[in-house]
Amino acid sequence: MLIRRDCLSILFLSLFLGGCASATVTAVGDPERPITINAYITIDIKGLKDTADNIEDYVSGDESIKSVKGE
Amino acid sequence: MKKTSGILLVLCLYTFYYVSLVCAGAYDIKELTPVVKEALDGRKARNDQMQSLKDKGIVGENNKGYVQLLVEGQGGKGLVNAENHDRKVIYEAIVEQNNLDAEAIKAVEKVFAQERRDRAKPGEKIQEEAGNWITK
Repeated sequence: MLIRRDCLSILFLSLFLGGCASATVTAVGDPERPITINAYITIDIKGLKDTADNIEDYVSGDESIKSVKGE
Repeated sequence: MKKTSGILLVLCLYTFYYVSLVCAGAYDIKELTPVVKEALDGRKARNDQMQSLKDKGIVGENNKGYVQLLVEGQGGKGLVNAENHDRKVIYEAIVEQNNLDAEAIKAVEKVFAQERRDRAKPGEKIQEEAGNWITK
């Protein structure tokens, strides 16, 4: 009984692995068509604004140069 | 118990992710290279002269983050060129030192343009984002 169950398990496992091994993935597409990737870059506008603020403060004479480095 | 701890873990991960986004903020000039320092000091030294030209309406702040000569023949061309050169150096330093994409310079310019518009004094000529020139 146990041997039969084991044989069945091995059989099913073999069938499954055989099925995986024989499966192929075919990519369909035109190899000459260029691939376009749209990358959207997120910039922290608030952070940029703080930097702009510091730099313009320094240029107008209100702050020391340390403020430009965010110190 | 396991379900609760799993949910808690996911919540912690989300919190950490968003908090790090918020704190990731400033795009400072991290290193004051000689070129950047020269540009900053140049702008500072020239600030009073630029302000005088703006007060007379000879120069205005455009919507790209640079100054623009509005009246020809009144002098100021050299000053405008020098100012714009220094501004470009600073913008490029911000992009480079913060590992931003080259395209990000447009965003930097826009932010500085808005900053200059906000700081403009009444009577100065500024170019709005839409492109029209107004007197503040």
